[in-house]
Amino acid sequence: MRKTAIVLAGLAVAASACGNAPTTTPTQPAGTAAATSGGAKPLQGQKIEVAAKWTSDEEKSFRQVLKAFSDKTGAEVTYASTGEDTGAYLGPRIKGGSPPDIAILPQPGLVQQYADEKALKPLTPEVISQIDTNYTPYWKELGSADGQVYGVMVKAAHKSLVWYRTATFEEAGVQPPTNWDELVKAAQTIADSGTAPFSFCGASGWTLTDLFENVYLSSAGPENYDKLSKHEIPWTDPSVATALEKMAQIMTKKEFVLDGNSGALQTQFPDCVTKVYDQKKAAMIIEADFVATPVAQSGEKVGEGAKTFPFPKVGETSPVVLGGDIAVALKDTPGAMALLEFLGSKEGGEIWAKLPGYLSPNKNVSPDNYPDELTKQLGQTIVSAGDAVRYDMSDLAPSAFGATDGKGEWKVLQDFLRDPTDVKGAQTKLEEEAKKAWK
Amino acid sequence: MATATATVERGVHAGAPKRGLLSRGVDKLGGGAVQVVMILIGLFWLVPTLGLLVVSMRSVAVNNAEGWWTIFTKPAELTLANYSNLLATGFTASFWNTIAITVPTTILVIGIAAMAAYAFAWMDFPGRDLLFLIVVGLLIVPIQVALIPMASFYGGTGMFGSIPSVVLFHVAFGLPFAIFLLRNFFVGIPASLLEAARMDGAPEWKIFASIVFPLGKPAIASLGIFQFLWVWNDMLIALVFANPDSQPMTKALQSQMRQFGNNIDILSSGAFLSLIIPLILFFAFQRYFVQGMMAGSVK
Amino acid sequence: MTERLDGPQAPSQDGAPSPRADTPKKFRLGPSPAIAIVFLLPAAILLGIWVVYPIVYSIFRSLFDASGSVFVGVENFTTIFTDRGTLVTIRNNLIWVIVAPILVTVLGLLFAVLTERIKWSTAFKLIVFMPMAVSLMAAGVIFRLVYEQDPDKGLANAVLTTVNDTFSSSQGYPDARPREGDASPVAAKDGGVATKQPAQAGQPVLIPLVGIKANTMPTNAAPALANPPPGGLSGTVWFDFTPGGQGTSGAVDPQEKGLPGMTVEAVKDGQVAATTTTAANGTFRFDGLAAGSYEVRLPQTNFTAPYRGLNWLGEALITPAIIGAFIWVWAGFAMVLISAGLAAIPRDSLEAARIDGATEWQVFRKITIPLLSPVLLVVFVTMIINTLKVFDLVFIIAPASVQPQSNVIALEMWRVSFGGGNNQGLGSALAVFLLILVLPFMIMNVRRFRREER
Repeated sequence: MRKTAIVLAGLAVAASACGNAPTTTPTQPAGTAAATSGGAKPLQGQKIEVAAKWTSDEEKSFRQVLKAFSDKTGAEVTYASTGEDTGAYLGPRIKGGSPPDIAILPQPGLVQQYADEKALKPLTPEVISQIDTNYTPYWKELGSADGQVYGVMVKAAHKSLVWYRTATFEEAGVQPPTNWDELVKAAQTIADSGTAPFSFCGASGWTLTDLFENVYLSSAGPENYDKLSKHEIPWTDPSVATALEKMAQIMTKKEFVLDGNSGALQTQFPDCVTKVYDQKKAAMIIEADFVATPVAQSGEKVGEGAKTFPFPKVGETSPVVLGGDIAVALKDTPGAMALLEFLGSKEGGEIWAKLPGYLSPNKNVSPDNYPDELTKQLGQTIVSAGDAVRYDMSDLAPSAFGATDGKGEWKVLQDFLRDPTDVKGAQTKLEEEAKKAWK
Repeated sequence: MATATATVERGVHAGAPKRGLLSRGVDKLGGGAVQVVMILIGLFWLVPTLGLLVVSMRSVAVNNAEGWWTIFTKPAELTLANYSNLLATGFTASFWNTIAITVPTTILVIGIAAMAAYAFAWMDFPGRDLLFLIVVGLLIVPIQVALIPMASFYGGTGMFGSIPSVVLFHVAFGLPFAIFLLRNFFVGIPASLLEAARMDGAPEWKIFASIVFPLGKPAIASLGIFQFLWVWNDMLIALVFANPDSQPMTKALQSQMRQFGNNIDILSSGAFLSLIIPLILFFAFQRYFVQGMMAGSVK
Repeated sequence: MTERLDGPQAPSQDGAPSPRADTPKKFRLGPSPAIAIVFLLPAAILLGIWVVYPIVYSIFRSLFDASGSVFVGVENFTTIFTDRGTLVTIRNNLIWVIVAPILVTVLGLLFAVLTERIKWSTAFKLIVFMPMAVSLMAAGVIFRLVYEQDPDKGLANAVLTTVNDTFSSSQGYPDARPREGDASPVAAKDGGVATKQPAQAGQPVLIPLVGIKANTMPTNAAPALANPPPGGLSGTVWFDFTPGGQGTSGAVDPQEKGLPGMTVEAVKDGQVAATTTTAANGTFRFDGLAAGSYEVRLPQTNFTAPYRGLNWLGEALITPAIIGAFIWVWAGFAMVLISAGLAAIPRDSLEAARIDGATEWQVFRKITIPLLSPVLLVVFVTMIINTLKVFDLVFIIAPASVQPQSNVIALEMWRVSFGGGNNQGLGSALAVFLLILVLPFMIMNVRRFRREER
């Protein structure tokens, strides 16, 4: 735990040193536009529909934020879950001319895509000023397409974490590893002790892309990462082979993978978390901060029975991969803009931050709001995103490649989990899919 | 298909319980063995649904830990919490949406199809036979063919995502079968009745409303129940055309599907709620239901 | 109420006798065509806009690319037959069409025949027919639960494992294995574990194993004993892992436990010379063994994993599993149709054949089946059309990771055009392809109808 703190703190320093974030203090009190006149509710009777992929606990938290907005403005906000595949949900609604007022996109790739389709509404100056006040240019950039700002990053995810069940590490007598070889060795020891070291969420393709991105960022370095993100180098590149071979080290041995490779492929997120903390069958899950939500549900306490360590170094770089959800307006209504402004404000962020499973990219949301130590530390890193940090590669890709069930990278990596010995085959298929998507 | 429907109707209920054709042969197998086999088959068909019911009445944690059949040793775990949680979410709205889609569709299909069927059965106009053959041909057009064209049509007219858009799609795709079924029934109405009315100078709409429609009740009931269930249970059309505020239960449940284990409380109770009305209808009107399904065998 | 839908005896509530009406064709003092148009108009408009126009539009649209602005000719159709993903969907549809209709028809026939033998046939029919009232969505949820991999949760595997366990019990150590590396005195061999060096009497054989899961550790396991009482060839099999990882590899540490009930064999020249079993503290001894050096091994039987049932939702079984759910839904339909057909068979011909000395089987084969064939054909064709259009069950039952392996055309069409693929050109091509597949049955229907009308 201490190590985590040190590494994260180091990153934070490095990031803020490199980043040229404006250091203006928050000049505006939160929620300026929305709450102009005390008492009167400016959006009374307005209906706003918001669509996001969240279900169950994440949905509950978000609904609380929406309720705070409703209470304040009088607007009637309805929430709709898009399911995992946001593109599939929004596509026909945009085509049909009946989109929700606000959609929360899980990938910046979609911002570009919908901007190209002219489906997005430019943000009003009020919203943009809120963004300028509260976000670093890096985050603002991720919500923009062709120089125009369309989105507010409302939720961030820290994807370079490995979660473990403390008891299994104690039982096996291993320490959290700091590099890949140590991880493989620790996994072996844990397997020897009679516990499966890894619980993979193979049925949720994005968990596998997250794993790949961490390994790749660390082994191939940030420059190659950027190139591969834009498909400037092919997936048949030797650097990809290296990363896949490293992944195979933890996927090939049957005693390493809980329920075997085919069992892992049927395990969705967050069932893989339940298997570790509820059913106590395995030791580690390689996934983001938001694992905290299902952990809390299983009754383990984050920081006690459930701890994390930073994703171990595979090569030179300590990987920090971030993800995030971007709220965009699909209709240009006062209600939609007011809600975006609220979500991007300090006030909205702090309401959300007090709930479990949330990290804010808003730099003015004080980390003190987070419910636990770990989130506080992670929050620091996120806010100060700079050169050392990379955004989730699959989310930057066209959604047909990086974010569609049964297609593209998700499918190929699932096939790879099924048979981790076929590195060449996986590369060929990845390149094929990438060519189709970047056509 | 007409032969099939005709032969079928004779035996559904009437013939079944009697000693059958092969009785002697099967007697040699031993009645006991047949009984056991049939009980096993019956269980095989019954138990999965029972499982859903039990799962829907247990908490997520319990369901993730053990199979529903352990309920026989610890019935205390049963709870209605899943159902009250489900109703606390927006699921009630989707229940009403299902009704708002299903009921108008059924009424419209019956009304529009009965009119067309009457024309096909008892009016003379050029191209009648050809037109009816086209209707027969349209019976099995896959709805996939219309998804893309209608999405853009609805987009252009601003109907997309509304309940009427879903209803009209259902009505159109329900019509060929409905016309086919009712026309075949109406043809059997005694000509003398119609002639008498026409000679009295009764207008067509009146003949339709006061003679044909009432006489067609059995077929209309079959059609109605069948159409109702078909629309109630649809997922594909809702998936494409319904918005969150117009979505029926099937679509609402589908959006929870991705976290199967985690959302099993909502999924199981929602699935069970969604099938309770069809089941009630099924048991109440199973005679019509069976007829409707059988006549629908061309679909 | 009569149960006719189109039979000759139309219901007449005024009590008038209802002789077969002359065919409407002959009797036509009907109204003018203008009135017919009024009656047909609503249906015509709906069918025109929602069914006919889309067919034309789809054919047209299928010749353009994803954006809809570039004419690509038949490129979308070539994609269908060259893309690896769509080829899998075609293969799966082929499996569906070959397997499902036959199974449904045969089962329906079987049930129809068997229901004639039981007193509670109405109840049986209701039960088997009931899934027809349930949405495929709900049926999908039901079967997703049935097919759950874990035998403690999934009904299918619970039944399989229960049946299996009553015939064979495996009390073993499925996860036990030698520690990796050269330091271990034993190695995996032929599915079991064997000593690397030959062993002799008087020199205890150490067989350290690791990876034993807590729930497979027998409750009677006692702390391992490193030096079994002398005499003969003897040794210890134990779980070589000290909680906390403090122990020495290959040595029996104080907290480590023996593995009781392990079968041990002494092998010489490939022949098993003696067999024994370990005690609670993991020790074993071969009594009355001729002096000499032996290979000591733990045969494979110690390590057979308990039967965990089938991997229903895995890529190999997913399509059969979904077909199973399909049968569950449709068998009742086939049964009711066929049993109605059975009831309609004239008894005289059957009796005549019996009097002529035909066996029941011959009667069934030579008379019943031919007479039933129109009904069987209807069931069969209906099922083919249904399998071609199958969508919901695959969508709901298959977990995301095996959806590509279980994909079918109807689902792929939705996926490509709405489900993230965002290519409505290819989507239209798939829709047209689906239409072409059902076309023969459409023609068949029309021709049969015309024949029957005459």
